Amino acid sequence: MESIEGDAGNFRVTVRERPRYVDMDKCIACGICAERCPRKVKDEYNQGLSKRKAIYVQYAQAVPLKYVIDADHCIYFKKKGRCKACEKYCPADAIDFTQKEKIHKIEVGSVILSTGFKSFDPSGHDVYGYGSLPNVITSMEFERILSASGPFQGQLQRPSDSEPPQKIAWLQCVGSRDLHAGCHEYCSGVCCMYAIKEAVIAKEHAGSDLDTAIFFMDMRTPGKEFDKYYDRARDEAGVRFIRSRVHSIERAGGPGSDDLRIIYVSEDGKLKEEIFNLVVLSTGLEISEDVRKLAQDLGIELDPHGFAKTSSFTPVATSRPGVFVCGAFAGPKDIPQSVMEASAASSACAVLLADSRNTLTQEKTYPPEDPIIYEEPRIGVFVCHCGINIGGVVDVPAVRDYAETLPNVVYVADNMFTCSQDTQGLIRDAVKENRLNRVVVAACTPRTHESLFQETIRDGGLNPYLFEFANIRDQDAWVHQKEPEKATEKAKDLVRMSVVKAALLEPIEPLLLGNRHEALVIGGGAAGMIAALDLADQGFKTFIVEQKEKLGGYAKYVRKTWKGEDGRAFLANLKERVNGHERIEVLLNTKVSHVSGFVGNFTTTVTTGSAEQELEHGVIILAVGAKSLKPDEYLYKQSDLVMRWHELEELFEKEPERLEESEAVAFIQCVGSREPERPYCSKFCCISSLQQAIDFKTLKPDLNVYILYRDIRTYGQREELYRKARELGVIFIRYSLNEKPVVEEARINGKDKLKITVKDHILGIPLELHVDYLDLATAIIARGEEELAKMLKVPLNEDGFFLEAHMKLRPVDFATDGIFMCGMAHYPKPLEESIVQAKAAAARAASVLIKESVEVEPTVSVVDQEKCIGCGLCEVSCPFMAIHLVKVPGQGYRAENISALCKGCGICAAACPQKAIDMKHFRDRQILAMIEAGGGK
Amino acid sequence: MKVGNIDMNKSFEPKILAFLCNWCAYAGADLAGVSRLQYPPTIRSIRVMCSGRVDPVYIIDGLKSGFDSVFVSG
Amino acid sequence: MSKDIKGSVMVVGGGIAGMQSALDLANSGFLVHMVEKSAAIGGVMSALDKTFPTNDCAM
Repeated sequence: MESIEGDAGNFRVTVRERPRYVDMDKCIACGICAERCPRKVKDEYNQGLSKRKAIYVQYAQAVPLKYVIDADHCIYFKKKGRCKACEKYCPADAIDFTQKEKIHKIEVGSVILSTGFKSFDPSGHDVYGYGSLPNVITSMEFERILSASGPFQGQLQRPSDSEPPQKIAWLQCVGSRDLHAGCHEYCSGVCCMYAIKEAVIAKEHAGSDLDTAIFFMDMRTPGKEFDKYYDRARDEAGVRFIRSRVHSIERAGGPGSDDLRIIYVSEDGKLKEEIFNLVVLSTGLEISEDVRKLAQDLGIELDPHGFAKTSSFTPVATSRPGVFVCGAFAGPKDIPQSVMEASAASSACAVLLADSRNTLTQEKTYPPEDPIIYEEPRIGVFVCHCGINIGGVVDVPAVRDYAETLPNVVYVADNMFTCSQDTQGLIRDAVKENRLNRVVVAACTPRTHESLFQETIRDGGLNPYLFEFANIRDQDAWVHQKEPEKATEKAKDLVRMSVVKAALLEPIEPLLLGNRHEALVIGGGAAGMIAALDLADQGFKTFIVEQKEKLGGYAKYVRKTWKGEDGRAFLANLKERVNGHERIEVLLNTKVSHVSGFVGNFTTTVTTGSAEQELEHGVIILAVGAKSLKPDEYLYKQSDLVMRWHELEELFEKEPERLEESEAVAFIQCVGSREPERPYCSKFCCISSLQQAIDFKTLKPDLNVYILYRDIRTYGQREELYRKARELGVIFIRYSLNEKPVVEEARINGKDKLKITVKDHILGIPLELHVDYLDLATAIIARGEEELAKMLKVPLNEDGFFLEAHMKLRPVDFATDGIFMCGMAHYPKPLEESIVQAKAAAARAASVLIKESVEVEPTVSVVDQEKCIGCGLCEVSCPFMAIHLVKVPGQGYRAENISALCKGCGICAAACPQKAIDMKHFRDRQILAMIEAGGGK
Repeated sequence: MKVGNIDMNKSFEPKILAFLCNWCAYAGADLAGVSRLQYPPTIRSIRVMCSGRVDPVYIIDGLKSGFDSVFVSG
Repeated sequence: MSKDIKGSVMVVGGGIAGMQSALDLANSGFLVHMVEKSAAIGGVMSALDKTFPTNDCAM
């Protein structure tokens, strides 16, 4: 990208396309060119741990799967006119050395910058010995070493001698939280989690004998399910966590030994050392020079660290109107947060460009189905290795060969990753070339991947219901890891069962239903209001249902954001916009009492006082928020001097003399969080307490402020608060869960005060603190929405927060179509993250609302009215009122299915005494064939 | 000694047929995989859209077809 | 702002964030142009072995 001209809504972007020297339309990705190419180059995709050729594909699943010539290394370009081996051997005549750079001028309404990050380069920082000690590697290098498609095919080995390491150490905060030149003061936010994951996976690869140790300052695992993963890694997988500061790494032992000695200072101040075979540097995230330059050329303001400057309230908007940002360019963050921001950025674009929606797009079409193809079953079976996930346990080639012997199977294949883009092409080609009319994939699980393969065969001209999945990963390879032979036998049985069902599958016609274009938002806090505004601004009528008597939710406690913006002014403005919006209807003091219907056609009954009304809408966004715990410890509710969350700053704001008269205040963190009963981190308590501490210290520098903590979790750029608090002299005292502080009332110098006793971790002795006030950062807990969850048929996690469809890739969706969530209903989070998630939920909801019709699962019941005797058992047993008796002239009553309401559960079919009801795609004869094939008799 | 089809001298590994509801038990079985919980490899599952779909005939047919027991979960 | 609003968006960078934005926009009726500096989309996530919490392959 070179430049942007024009204004929001109407930009002219100049893009420079570099030549590929391979004709994309001709290249068939056969790989002969790379095989013949004589020039070997370090493979940057594998972090330089292996070689590729000068003509290459980035990785096996690359999209597009087309080769490219690296002109910086190609012999033809380096020694004018020589070599041309690729051109000579290419069977498709795809090599084109004459390609030139192309300049494109593209008109667009808006721009999203998702340029990502670059990994911190630790070379040149002597402490780590990276570059001079061969067995000191970066975390990205370690990712590639672990990968089945990596330089060592997933065999865990170290670079110096290819030996499997017995002891591996991870060093956290490499390049992050470090004020040395060339390093970054911010926390990169992702390294703690990836280091834990790498240690756990390394143990999975090498067995439990592998010793893994993580050297860290604070363990920052504040996200959803993160602390549980940390606990499991420590308690079950046996990963060692060493709270320390690393002094240096040096070569251990005599010549010929490539082992490494880590010299570190433990928490109690002692100098210690330990020897490891391999050291992994948990390198942080940074913005590359190229991206900084691009931002400068585009007129985008950056913060001092090179990240795009954004406000907490408009977290995806850059300083230039119409140019949006998401992912790591807007600050260091993990995958789910990047995915949410990405959807949020798309929502921001959709709001801006709403009037021009559908002006430039086309509907996807599928090739027509040829009914003749369905006459005789011709089945293709694709068995997936899933890297080593399946292939490491199940003998995949044996399963493939076995499948070939089964009746009606005319084609078999095994694939490294059957879900990859190129394999979709292979499946489509196999369907066409072999006239396949049924496809079986043996792989992970239909719950995540069935729809992908259905789409693939649909593209190949088959009805999507001529597909069957054999679950040989989640329910086989992963659960029988120590019994590979039996797992292989099981895989064969599961494939056989799927093949017999496949032979009996029938094409099923799609079921299209009209779609409503209104949205229902449950919860009128900041998240709910933002989601409603984004939808209403795109033209969709939106209802907000709020239980309480006013809008605002938890956000009303946010006096200011961590960046210092005024939270109250923001909330006031938000309420005003919501109340004044012509397309938003706010229902206060209102509860949801009943929900029926499905995506595109929901009917919700809401109760306001004693009045009931029905709302009809196409989607639901859950934004019910959360609340803070009122604890039974630390004298809360017993002493007026003990407060919670924002109560202390509110007190000091209202009665400044109280602050003036105080000598000391304390905060206790993790009150009720990260305990066995509530094993999660409430995420923003550290930030909230630090903000207050900084404010108090700024107003009254001689005030003693103590923060009693377990880990300080100022993740990402919020680390700035931690630095500032230390600079201002806030005193941090770490305590551990088994030695919690003890709070007592005390009369000191004629004043009622509190006495806090806590063991200091550095000195190892108990300290006694006298404070005027104590503020508790208590756990953020779920509201207890079991009833609502049941009504909507969406799941809650163990902690009572709503559970998304996929932790990483679908963070605002539910598995149930048409229902989305945002804000603290999902997990505790700071305001700016709730705003991102709300915009993301709006984007996802909008993609449903714009459709004229929705396609629902057509796997519904079918009634054979010839067999039906009109007994009505089906009608009474159906939980969805989707089957009923109708009068048929001359025959009396007969059952009739109502497809739109049918969920395909099949209770009616099991209940029918006449066997007059059957289920599409789960027919009696299909299931019986599977049973018999599985029994093997 | 043999009792029915079972040879009591050998350790008995029952072959189990499982009907798993797509929305809960099947998801639970997937979760067992994600969590790497290990269990005996003698179970063969069939996904149904609801455990209510399981017709009594399926259970009898399962036992007739060579399974030692049938597990319906949903 | 110009009256002639274009119904298209340019997404710069084809990593996980860029891809998600592009998909959401395309599914909402906007034409998306994606620009990526390397020869394939996928970004850093494609190079990760497995991801928390399921330890599924990142691919």
